[in-house]
This record gives sequence, structure tokens and C-alpha cells, in this order.
Amino acid sequence: MNTVPFSLRRALLIAQNTLLEAARQKLLLFFLLLALGLVVGARWLRDFSFGAPELKFLADCGFGAMAFFGAALAIAATAQLFFSEIENRTALTLLAKPVWRAEFILGKFLGVVAVAAFFCALLTLLLMAVLRWREGELMREFPEAFAQGGVVSYGMVALGGLLQWLKLAVLVALSLLVASFAQTQLFTIVTGFFVFVICHLQYLAQDAYTRAGSWFAQNVGGGLASVFPNFQLFALADSLNAADAPPTAHVVRVALYAAGYCAVACALAVYCFRKREI
Amino acid sequence: MRAGLRTTVFVIASLAVAGMLLNRVAAPAWSAAREKQPALKLDSSMTAAGQGVTLALLGGFRALVADAAWMRMFARWEARDLPGVETLIHVVSAIDPRPAYFWMNGARIVAYDLPVWRIEAAGGFEAVTKPVQERIRREQAQQALRHIEAAMAFHPASADLWIERGSIELNKLGDLAAAAESFRRAWEQPHAPFYAARLHGELLRRQGKKTEALAWLIQLHPLQPPDPEEPKADVVLARIRALERDLGVPPARAFQPAR
Repeated sequence: MNTVPFSLRRALLIAQNTLLEAARQKLLLFFLLLALGLVVGARWLRDFSFGAPELKFLADCGFGAMAFFGAALAIAATAQLFFSEIENRTALTLLAKPVWRAEFILGKFLGVVAVAAFFCALLTLLLMAVLRWREGELMREFPEAFAQGGVVSYGMVALGGLLQWLKLAVLVALSLLVASFAQTQLFTIVTGFFVFVICHLQYLAQDAYTRAGSWFAQNVGGGLASVFPNFQLFALADSLNAADAPPTAHVVRVALYAAGYCAVACALAVYCFRKREI
Repeated sequence: MRAGLRTTVFVIASLAVAGMLLNRVAAPAWSAAREKQPALKLDSSMTAAGQGVTLALLGGFRALVADAAWMRMFARWEARDLPGVETLIHVVSAIDPRPAYFWMNGARIVAYDLPVWRIEAAGGFEAVTKPVQERIRREQAQQALRHIEAAMAFHPASADLWIERGSIELNKLGDLAAAAESFRRAWEQPHAPFYAARLHGELLRRQGKKTEALAWLIQLHPLQPPDPEEPKADVVLARIRALERDLGVPPARAFQPAR
């Protein structure tokens, strides 16, 4: 029974510690180097681009690296940083002190979300730099094609990075929920990847069940679509053109959607973790 | 055991309730996203499922993986490996349906190259009878048109796809009416090239619909952009005059251009 009130400061201290722990681990560095290498290297892969315009191809590679390695990082880091505390018995020491389990979960969540923010921010800035550099080269090479000025909207690139981060934050919260009752790190990682894929596909299940027409099928589809967040929502900024920018209200709605799922998944993780024997 | 089940049910029920409320928050953004991205509102569940899985697993890497598969297709094309080329054309479009380039070039290969390979594999142009050659050409053209039809689900406003469709209907099926309709649809799309409209008029004329062709070209004439190579040439007016001659239009009722 906790005799001290809930403290956000203690949660932030745990988050800070989680962030430092993540920085010390090779996992972050590994994914970061892979993603950075790909974003910078995309410049030399452009000769293999047939279908998409070159700058769009570069942006696709950048966001591909952010989504793929970001998801791998979010799931693996959550599982590793959570289970390392349990396996090394530091969780026991920590929770023997006047620290709420809710503070522990919130701290872990904020710590990994901060790692994801650092990852997305760094990649977004690098992607912007690569795009700026190549756009400048193309403008000098083909001035007539850029008579109206630059074609890349850096606001859209930044928005794309922000939406990727929101998606990763939801994935971190869901991975933490799985970790809160899972017995092994491997189970958490594998389930996390399944959740990631399901969240990208859930809208299809809803469509299919809606088309089935029956009341039961529609409710099953609706239920599935409610349990798993829709990750396709976070692809609102899949363009380099400022004219394709989504309205601010839509971006705010997507941010609220992500925040809502994070809050609920974290609250449920606390609920499960409170029942868990450490 | 019972406590575990209770916890699981509670977690799922809580997520479902929260999700129902949150889906309402995101509904306008989701509707707008679906409107803008044709892949998210495909009629075919199988195609959409393929797209969803590809997007989930590859994300932005789709472009890179599709390019690699397209190069592999070229290697198979050089070896004249018909099943390999056919398969890879579909694989590339499934991995990344966004560039119209893959769809159009895929359709061209299916319509123009594969019939030649099939005829050569069956003994060559000398050995294969004309009706069989014609059947093979038609089969391949129909397959290419199905490929373009699939492309239009992803690129509903692409003039290039309608032009490609019209070209195949014209050159491979000899279907003047269908080709004329496709070129007209191409002209209705944004950023359509002017020649699509001109070809529609020409195909009306070739079908013997000279009055319709004349009316079409007359309403088209003011929209004609100057030819950068021959700024003084007025191709549409020349065709209008030819049609007026054919139809016996008296000089007093002949079309008078505004410029």
C-alpha cells in the first residue's frame, strides 16, 4: 500500500534514468546508425529510382527508415528497458521504496517516448538537410524546372516526423501494456510486432465486416477497430507538396487520438502491473 | 487462472470502449485521409489487404523495394522469361502502386512484348497461323487493359493511364470506338495533353462520325496551345477544313476562328 501521494517528479526521475539507460545501450545506437546510414545513403540509391520523382524517393527512404527502425526501436527498447529492471532486481529495490507502480510505468513510458522523440527528431532534421542539399543541386542543374521556386515543403517533412513520433508513442504504450503482464522479453517483442502489423491492417477488418452486412459481423469489426488503434491515420503527411497539407484540426485530432490511446494503454499497464508478482 | 481471464477481459473491454470514443475523435481526419489516398478505399479487399500488409511491413521502403523488383523484372525481360516478367510486373505494382510509371510500362510490356514472345515460343511468325496470332494479341491486350483498370483504382485522375488504355485499344484491338472514348476521358483529366482531345476527334472521323468529329474539333479549336516547333501551324483548323470539305459545308457556314 502506498503511503505517499503520486509524484510526477518521481516518474520524471524514472524517465530520466530510462533515457540514460537507453543511451548506454547499444540498441539505440545500432538502430540510429542503420537509419542514419539509410537516409544519407538514399542519395546514392536514387539511380535505382524508376517510379517516383527523386526528391519523393529520398523522402520515402527517410520516412521508411523512421517507421521501420523506429518501430523496431520502440518495441525492443520498451521490452529491454522494462525487463532489465525486473531481471536485474532493480525494480524490486525501487518499488520497495515509496514509489508507486504507476510512477514506474509512467516513467518507463516517458523515457522510451523521449528516446523515440530523439530518434525521430534526428532523422527528420537529417532528412530535411539531405532534401535541401539535393533540391539545391537540382535547382542549379535544372533552373527551368524550378521556375516557381522549391518544390519541397519542409513543414510537411516536419509534420511527417511528428506523426511518426506519435505513432511510435502509441506503439510504446501498447508494448508497455504487453510487457506489464508478459513473462518474457521475447514474448513482448514478438507480440509488439504483431500489434504493429495489426494496427496497420485493422481498418480492413472493419471494412470487411461492414460489407458482410450482419449485425454480429459489424460489431466484431467495430470491436477490432476499437481495440487496436489505426496506424494508417499517421500517414496524413505522405507528400512533399504544401498544397497536400492536412488541415490543422485534423492534425490536432490525430494527436488527441494518439494521446488518448497512450493514456488508456498506460493506465491498463499500471492495472496489470499492480497485479503482477515481481 | 480466473483472475488472469478477468484481467484480460477487462483490458480488452477497456481498450474497446476507449477506442470507440477515440475513433469518433479521429473520424474526420480518417475520412479525409481515405478520400486523398485511393489505396485506403479500394473496393477489392484482397488488393487492399496486400497494400495494408506492404505498407505495414515496408512503410516508406516500398519505393526502394519496388525499384529493386523492377530491375529484377528487366533482367527477366532481357532473358525473355515470360512467366517471370508477368509475375514481377504484378509484384512491383503491388509493392508500390503510387507511381503510374510501373503500371503504364507494365501494361506496355504485357500488350506489346509478350504477344511477340508467345508467338515466337509457339514456332515463330511463319509457323503460327494468323488467327492464332490474332488471338494471342487480343489475349495480351485484354490482360494489359485489366492491368490499367487496376491502376485506375490508385490513379483515378491520371490522363496518362487513359491515353495508354486508348493506345492499346487502338493499336492492339483495333477498337476505334473504345479508343475514342478513352482519349476523350483522358482529355477530361487534369493536366491532360492536347493531343488526347485531337485523337478523339480523329478517331470519330475514322469511324465515319464526321459531323460529330467536326463539332468536337470546332469546340476544341480555341483551346489549342501553340506548337513550340511550328507556332504558326494550326493542325486543328486544317482538320476542320478537311471535314468541312468532306461534309460539303458551304463557305458561308464554314467555321471562322476567333483569332
